[in-house]
Amino acid sequence: MERETISVTVNGRAYERAVEPRRLLSDFLREDLRLTGTHVGCEHGVCGSCTVMMDGVTARSCLTFAVMADGAEIETIEGLGSVEAMHPVQQAFWEKHGLQCGFCTPGMLMTAVELLKANPDPSVDDIRDAISGNLCRCTGYQTIVESIQYAAKLMREDGP
Amino acid sequence: MKPARFRYLRAASVNDALQALAENPDAQILAGGQSLIAMMNLRLVKPACLIDINRISNIGYIDEDGDGVAIGALARHNDVKHSPLIRERCPLLTEAYESIAHHTVRNRGTLGGNLCHADPSSETPAVMVATGATLMLQSLRGQREVGAEDFFLGTYETARRQDEMLTEIRLPGRRTDGWAFAEISNRHGDFAIAVIATTLRIEDGRCEAARVVASGVGEHAARLEPAEEALIGGPIDDARLDAAAAAAAGAVDPHSDSHADAAYRRDAIAALTRRTVRRAAARCD
Amino acid sequence: MAHVGAAHTRLEDDRFLTGRGRFVDDIRLPGEAYAAFVRSPHARARIGAIATDRARAMPGVLAVLTGDDWRRDGGGETDVLWDVNSHDGTPMNIARRPIFASGEARHVGDTVALVVAEDPHTAADAAAAVEVAWEPLPSITELAASVEPDAPLVHEEFGSNVAYDWRLGDAEATEAAFAAAAHVTALSLNNNRLAPSAMEPRAAIGAYDRGSERYTLWSTTQNPHLVRQWLSRDTLRAPEHAIRVVAPDVGGGFGQKTYHYPEEASLPWAARLVGRPVRWTATRAETLAVDIHARDHVTEARMAFDEDGRIAAVEANIIANLGAYQSQFAACIPTLFCVTMFSGQYAIPALHCRVLGVYTNTTPIDAYRGAGNPEITYVIERLIENGAREMAADSVEARSRNLVPAAAMPYASATGVTYDVGDFPAVLGKTRALADLEALRAEQARLREDGMLMGIGMAAFIRSGGAGPSRLAAALGSRMGLWDVATVRVHPSGKITVLCGSHNHGQSHATTYAQIVADRFGCDMADIEIVEGDTDRIPHGLGTWASRSITVVGSALAVASDRIIDKGRRLAAHLMECAVEDIDFGSGAYSVRGTDRRMTFVEIADMAYRGADYPDGFELGLEEAAFFDPDDFNYPYGTHVATVTVDAETGAVKLTGYYSVEDMGLVINPLVVDGQRHGAAAQGIGQALLEDVRYEPDSGQLLTGSFMDYTIPRADDMPNFALDSHVTLTETNPLGVKGVGELGTAGPPAAIGNAILDALWHLGVRHMEMPFTAERVWRAIRAASA
Repeated sequence: MERETISVTVNGRAYERAVEPRRLLSDFLREDLRLTGTHVGCEHGVCGSCTVMMDGVTARSCLTFAVMADGAEIETIEGLGSVEAMHPVQQAFWEKHGLQCGFCTPGMLMTAVELLKANPDPSVDDIRDAISGNLCRCTGYQTIVESIQYAAKLMREDGP
Repeated sequence: MKPARFRYLRAASVNDALQALAENPDAQILAGGQSLIAMMNLRLVKPACLIDINRISNIGYIDEDGDGVAIGALARHNDVKHSPLIRERCPLLTEAYESIAHHTVRNRGTLGGNLCHADPSSETPAVMVATGATLMLQSLRGQREVGAEDFFLGTYETARRQDEMLTEIRLPGRRTDGWAFAEISNRHGDFAIAVIATTLRIEDGRCEAARVVASGVGEHAARLEPAEEALIGGPIDDARLDAAAAAAAGAVDPHSDSHADAAYRRDAIAALTRRTVRRAAARCD
Repeated sequence: MAHVGAAHTRLEDDRFLTGRGRFVDDIRLPGEAYAAFVRSPHARARIGAIATDRARAMPGVLAVLTGDDWRRDGGGETDVLWDVNSHDGTPMNIARRPIFASGEARHVGDTVALVVAEDPHTAADAAAAVEVAWEPLPSITELAASVEPDAPLVHEEFGSNVAYDWRLGDAEATEAAFAAAAHVTALSLNNNRLAPSAMEPRAAIGAYDRGSERYTLWSTTQNPHLVRQWLSRDTLRAPEHAIRVVAPDVGGGFGQKTYHYPEEASLPWAARLVGRPVRWTATRAETLAVDIHARDHVTEARMAFDEDGRIAAVEANIIANLGAYQSQFAACIPTLFCVTMFSGQYAIPALHCRVLGVYTNTTPIDAYRGAGNPEITYVIERLIENGAREMAADSVEARSRNLVPAAAMPYASATGVTYDVGDFPAVLGKTRALADLEALRAEQARLREDGMLMGIGMAAFIRSGGAGPSRLAAALGSRMGLWDVATVRVHPSGKITVLCGSHNHGQSHATTYAQIVADRFGCDMADIEIVEGDTDRIPHGLGTWASRSITVVGSALAVASDRIIDKGRRLAAHLMECAVEDIDFGSGAYSVRGTDRRMTFVEIADMAYRGADYPDGFELGLEEAAFFDPDDFNYPYGTHVATVTVDAETGAVKLTGYYSVEDMGLVINPLVVDGQRHGAAAQGIGQALLEDVRYEPDSGQLLTGSFMDYTIPRADDMPNFALDSHVTLTETNPLGVKGVGELGTAGPPAAIGNAILDALWHLGVRHMEMPFTAERVWRAIRAASA
């Protein structure tokens, strides 16, 4: 079986692994690196549960082969913040009940982080548009929108 | 389902890619992968060999090209969507991007890849045909230009030969003041049920030139010449709008599928023609 | 400060927010192997020879197993849990869902073989290499056509596709009422087939330990104990104590993950055969084809009014799809959980309904959030709207005129069900105010002058919650009880663990249960651990579905807590040398009334385990298991209003506003309850506007096999929800709660349907089927102007 050796930095840590070319980045993160925070909901690139940051922008890890991530810097939910030191987006989702079953949450948080980086004061429509590529079946999206609005407020208050 | 096995090659340069295409008749280009990998995950396609072009440097450009724009093969959708140059010189494309996919998919997906994928309900081919764009195809045998109108041949079928790579998209300078894009889809960002991209040139209140291009209602994006003819030679008034809409509906032979049936698609084309022509005409004022 | 009623942030979120959730697919076991299933691509086909040689020969393939292997090894089939017999007493025709299809595959996705391999790629490749000699047969996937005499039979042994012909109500009185009616309105309505589609695809890991001869199954199930029972009794056929089922974090269920799926049985079996744990995760395409579908009714209905606009009677004939096999609860969903609410919030003196439960060559159907209530609500609310308009009456007034007044509670509905409490007029009033109906009407008029079409629609609904009373359920045909159990275990430290039979897959039990317990004991929520989901840790339980958990398990843990507090009272009286009657308990301490002598609960707990000093007859320890069986169902209800704009040219519908007023009794946590209400309404909106499982009529091919084709709502499809509530406490459980999880799914189909009709009525549009896609609306507009 043909394997390619790839070097990837994930949440600041360097990894080197041999993978089949057809190994999806989502499976690579979950299986090869045991980072199971990134979830797989559809493998057609529609649901957004698998969203990670790749070289600074969000990517569907189910629509990326691990070999394509060779040399890339990946950020996953595990690198976003810890319970003791939560990212404002995590804090906001907690306070505003932006999650129920938690399955879509990692992808949703990565998308929210990207949005707020580009737009620190998004309107409700901006938020709905930005998360339109992340499906949630539990919340009906309202508390997610409120969480992101609140996160924006927290981040603005923290200041640069 | 996990994709079927494939051979993986990585191109460091365009020439590398062309070499690999020539040496591997069963190879396909892998750019953003947002369409291709989704289909591979469902095992709808099983390419035997993929040539990854994502490492090739300097082919993601969006540059001035005379009074037009030259777009490199690896220009990502979001780069194109947010490009001030494109907004200025080809606003039809910018407007179309309001309806294309979602942000994360647009981060990786490329305009070039989308055009080569040639999904019959894709928005970008309609824009290419409406603006008269040309596509540069390169192979070891040389280079050729293909006009957008001649590029899209059928469902997932283009004029690109197996050993060719789309290396550049050239948008001409804007020759029209009137332009508009509209589509109908079940959810915003979904594959379109019907698309119309329209460009108009109006001089002294008279429509001198028009392109009305449909997508989603045939094997590929195509001009609706009867609709265009109905517009040319007079002012864009209600009578001309109705005539163009009716002509557009008559010029298409849509299919029925689980998203919409033929009759609806036909009527949608009429409605979208009317709307885009009206908006395009208003932009000329 | 009371915890119950407070908008507590959740206790369980740390792991979900930081990517440390433990979903089934996150679990890694040493030596695990991977499974892939071979499933029928045909709606109906004879299963000929299964050629496994090519698959077996692939490097890394550990086993290729078929139905013959399963049956030879003594494997069984799933069984049904509710008997719904025909009106003449004929028992229903039962076709059980097999673990592997036998003889014939009966729906696209029906399982025929299982491949086990070293890695998921090889498993997928090997499954693709298994060759089945299919002999396609004529299939029947169209519901209405399935009852025609010449329809292909899904199960030839029955001689018909009809499983039962069930009826409820007084046919004679109903007929008489129609005959005497001043006005009759009639509708033909479909209730579209849905795929529940939780974000987490189903997954399972089977393992077998040869030393202890025990099976372990990790499964994305909503009810691990039921799965264990079903594995033991019906499918795997091993003793219950030899089976452990674990449901860890589960990414949404909505009822779809309640049932006993073939993989839950075949994976532990395969694990025993290959000597390694075997894991499997569904692809989304698999899940859309194999997991239980929902709803799917064809209905003819009519409503009779007297000359004052009072409803005199209502009648319906429903054909309800069961799919290819009868799933566990399938029989009772279109009948006992549907038609019993046929009176809705209205005082209807006579009614009759006939339900034909039928088999088709489609995926089996069972309960999905709402489970029968959205179906019947859609019928009632479309009828009353239609009738009002035909009589040139205001449909909101028509509803108001017919609501059961609060003074009439408890109200015995003509279906045989009694609503214990509720104030329907108050909720209607609150809905009017919340939506500001007058302002909406004014806006509608203004927009119409500009040629823009806006519509306002309403739906009123009531359902049963808190399933449920076991004796009543048995009398209605249930083969299982509906009780549940909570074990409150106080540790010597005074901290508390509560073992619950329910399962949390988004319902926030770790928080809401802790709120109830914390209030009881006067302790911090952080001192309480809520445990669910593991049959080795929790002795019994029935899981979470049918809006039951806060009612049944919440009550159980309240009862168990109170028993412990009473027991502690006896020890406290002894230790503080006074009479038991003189002991008060509050703020976490026992005190002697009229003195300042007190002992904290923590101190009493310590003494209860130390045993140094206790009264005669006192049993040491502080642990109580309370089995709670409610006296009756409870009846949450609500009223919704939807506003839409319709593009007359393209038919495109935009949902511009959504207003909900609901009564769910006592609210434990408003943050959680609001979230449940949003989620339920969102799923109803999905049914109304976007979702439809479709099969090609001739070939029976599943057309909606991916998330590109089966379109669930996105954030930009949703409006902002406006919520208000009303509280009437039920006395059918000690908490006064009513089950809220499913309630709001019933509103959107009718509210949105009525809104679209409101926008288009003046154009002559009278009806279109769900989902209300642009195409359907367009077609209705064209037909009306033709």
